[in-house]
Amino acid sequence: MAAEPEPLIGIDLGTTNSLVATVQDGQPIIIKNRTGQPLTPSVVAVSKNGKRLVGGIAKRQAITNPQETVSAAKRLIGRKFSSHPVQDAMRALTYQVVCGQHDDVRIRLAGRDLAVPEVSAMILAELKADAEAHFGRPVTQAVITVPAYFNDGQRQATKDAGRIAGLEVLRIINEPTAAALAYGFGRTVNGKIAVLDLGGGTFDVSVLEINNGIFDVVATGGDTFLGGEDWDHRIIEWMVFSFAKEHGIDLRKDRMALQRLKDAAEKAKVELSSVKETQLHLPFICTPPGGGAALHLQSTLTREKLEDLTADLGERLVGITSEVLGEAKVRPSELKEVILVGGMSRMPRIIEQVRQYFRREPCKGVHAEEVVALGAAIQAHALVGQESELLLLDVTPQSMGVAIAGGYVRRLIPRNTTVPTSATEVFATSKDFQRTVKIMVLQGEHELAHHNELLGEFLLTGLREAPRGQVEIEVTFDINAEGIVSVSARDRDTGLRQSITVTASSGLTEDELRRIMEEQRDWLVAARNTEELKSKRVELDTLARDLVDALSRVRLMPGAGGLSPDVVARAEAALDHARQARGTEDVGALTRACEALAQSLPLLRSAGSRGTPGR
Amino acid sequence: MNALRAKALVEAGLLLRLSGDMAGAEKLFARALELDPANARARRLLGRDGSPEQGSAGGDTGWNLASPDQEVDWGAWTGPSKPGPVEAPLRESVSLPEGTGMRGDALDLIAEAHRTQEFGLPDTFTPAGGLPEGSEVESLLRGAEDLLALDDHSGAVELLRRAQSLAPENPRVEALRDRSERILVSMLEARLGDLNRMPRVRLQPDDIIWLNLDHRAGFVLAQIDGAVSFDDLFALSGMSRLDTARILAQLLDEGIIAPGE
Repeated sequence: MAAEPEPLIGIDLGTTNSLVATVQDGQPIIIKNRTGQPLTPSVVAVSKNGKRLVGGIAKRQAITNPQETVSAAKRLIGRKFSSHPVQDAMRALTYQVVCGQHDDVRIRLAGRDLAVPEVSAMILAELKADAEAHFGRPVTQAVITVPAYFNDGQRQATKDAGRIAGLEVLRIINEPTAAALAYGFGRTVNGKIAVLDLGGGTFDVSVLEINNGIFDVVATGGDTFLGGEDWDHRIIEWMVFSFAKEHGIDLRKDRMALQRLKDAAEKAKVELSSVKETQLHLPFICTPPGGGAALHLQSTLTREKLEDLTADLGERLVGITSEVLGEAKVRPSELKEVILVGGMSRMPRIIEQVRQYFRREPCKGVHAEEVVALGAAIQAHALVGQESELLLLDVTPQSMGVAIAGGYVRRLIPRNTTVPTSATEVFATSKDFQRTVKIMVLQGEHELAHHNELLGEFLLTGLREAPRGQVEIEVTFDINAEGIVSVSARDRDTGLRQSITVTASSGLTEDELRRIMEEQRDWLVAARNTEELKSKRVELDTLARDLVDALSRVRLMPGAGGLSPDVVARAEAALDHARQARGTEDVGALTRACEALAQSLPLLRSAGSRGTPGR
Repeated sequence: MNALRAKALVEAGLLLRLSGDMAGAEKLFARALELDPANARARRLLGRDGSPEQGSAGGDTGWNLASPDQEVDWGAWTGPSKPGPVEAPLRESVSLPEGTGMRGDALDLIAEAHRTQEFGLPDTFTPAGGLPEGSEVESLLRGAEDLLALDDHSGAVELLRRAQSLAPENPRVEALRDRSERILVSMLEARLGDLNRMPRVRLQPDDIIWLNLDHRAGFVLAQIDGAVSFDDLFALSGMSRLDTARILAQLLDEGIIAPGE
């Protein structure tokens, strides 16, 4: 009999929510998490009693335990601590972020400084466990999606997160590409499409050019601080204001009240995508400052009111979309399709605005929140099944080049170049009698050098002294199949040569990565053991309670209910044994104790039915 | 000596009564009267002199050990003075593993021939040690000691919290409070049963608003959706384990929630 193929999964690792999908019987499907939800919040926390929480449960205590709750780690992954995006993101974070040894970002959680991939790995491990619960066997291979604008470092960090979580990351693919794959556009569309992804915390606009199954990201942009949470905040403000007007109390000052407002706002927002009004019902939301009975918040929010409260946010979406298309010199009328991604894009008002702007109906048919994960699952399936027409090639996500005089960039390898690849270009000195040239290897799309990511730099010294432009330097970029970039510079006159090898780095060294993986494995073993012990102890307690009850009934019965003294003695011995076993950390001993209790229980329970003397 | 101690107990009882723990206060007044039958204040507070100054609404006198259906600590109704035709052979003693802070062990609920007092003060505890005789902290400690002797951990914790606010650095107060809270948490958790069960709300939203809850209980109640376990609720509440356990036990006792699967 042929062995069952190993299950494959696609993961949409989002800023706010994550999803996992697979292809089953030829159909891509979302795997629900163990609480029955398709979405798992990308939130990790350590509760006040030291328990690690991931997903919905972590999100639900985010406001009451803000310092120990990490959300939106994706904003930080693979970035340098000193970078603008990290410094910007830090203003909005409730948890502490510190600088690592290599200018990498570390998140302080429960007194430990964790690398960002470690935190993302906790979310991935949760999704992996959900998939394993679905399949009933281990899952080790996955395709993970990232935003189209992620550079090599961010992609590598996401891969590292996968490794820490015990996943072999088959490929990292772009989120808009995954969305297009889920719609089957690799087969059915040739031309440009737009993907508008309005998630919980970010808005990404991408324009893809699909040409015979090749997906080229021709433009990407957006606002990394615009998302569904902005809509939630507007609802919260509205509730707070209404309550303050009625009772003179500011609910934002109470963390418990604020957590409930946040949960209610999100629920109301989701509901208003399908119904025209919803009830906000929060009993005992606060106790008045002077004491007395707790107050209730009861209100009705209509879709019209929500649209009114968030009108400017909708306009921002259109403005950003227009900007990205303008920069890419793409007219809306050129687009073959428009895909909406993210839960927020199900809001009728947003659909209407998109329809008005593009003058076409956005794609429907695949759930907006699930489309990226489904596309990732399709790609994972295609990779292993070698379905070449659906197979995405490994490409350079961003252009690579060197800094040149005037602070500009000369690109040698354009983005979306299939790897392995190489390119050579000849440069000349920019100053008279220049003896040294500095080669700065850059990645990015901006024309100005300092707006790009510096991958590495080196000096080529000992150049022939000559007027500017007369000494020629040959620069070669070489990217192998693993994405490792080698850059060399050679003085064409003297043959002097210098080179550098750039490996995309997440900020973690290989040693650190190994240590973290070991820790993660130890933690999983310990967590499994604790769970097993906990469940055995619960079983033991239940059996012991039942046995104690049965034993006491027997003792009250004249003549011990007809039972032989031997039975009672054995039950007492089983309880003694159980008492000793309970104090141990030995699952085997607990199991044996449970068995002994379970054997005695039916015998004691039969006491009444054996005919009690005197009754 | 007894008269002094009785006086301190009356003071502690009054504090407890102010915090709303009528049953705990009455126990202390009764204990004071037992130590010093001439203590008129204790007698008056217990309503045994016919005057109106008393905490309890009922005309019940004596030790007034709470029955299981009253709002009182679990296990507190099995006192030795409780008369009854057949003394319940079980649940007389709950001995807890020292320092674990974990819930009570069902195996320790096994019947013993006699009642053991496991909840009392640590062996090394001397209530007045290190504290000036007659100080408020001392009164509170003595009150707590007596309540612990009566298995009223809820009342004892209340007094110890007050004592700690007055003497935050006192290691004895801290140790006793820590121990009492641990035991109380264990007792409350035992009331909840298996903490992996996912409780659900039994009432309709329209009925919930008629309950008498504070905002903290309202918060815990709002988190109960049939998908989170008792264990998860301890993590979600943002409150101490004791406060959360208290609220959950209250919601369970009042039939507002069911323990679920």
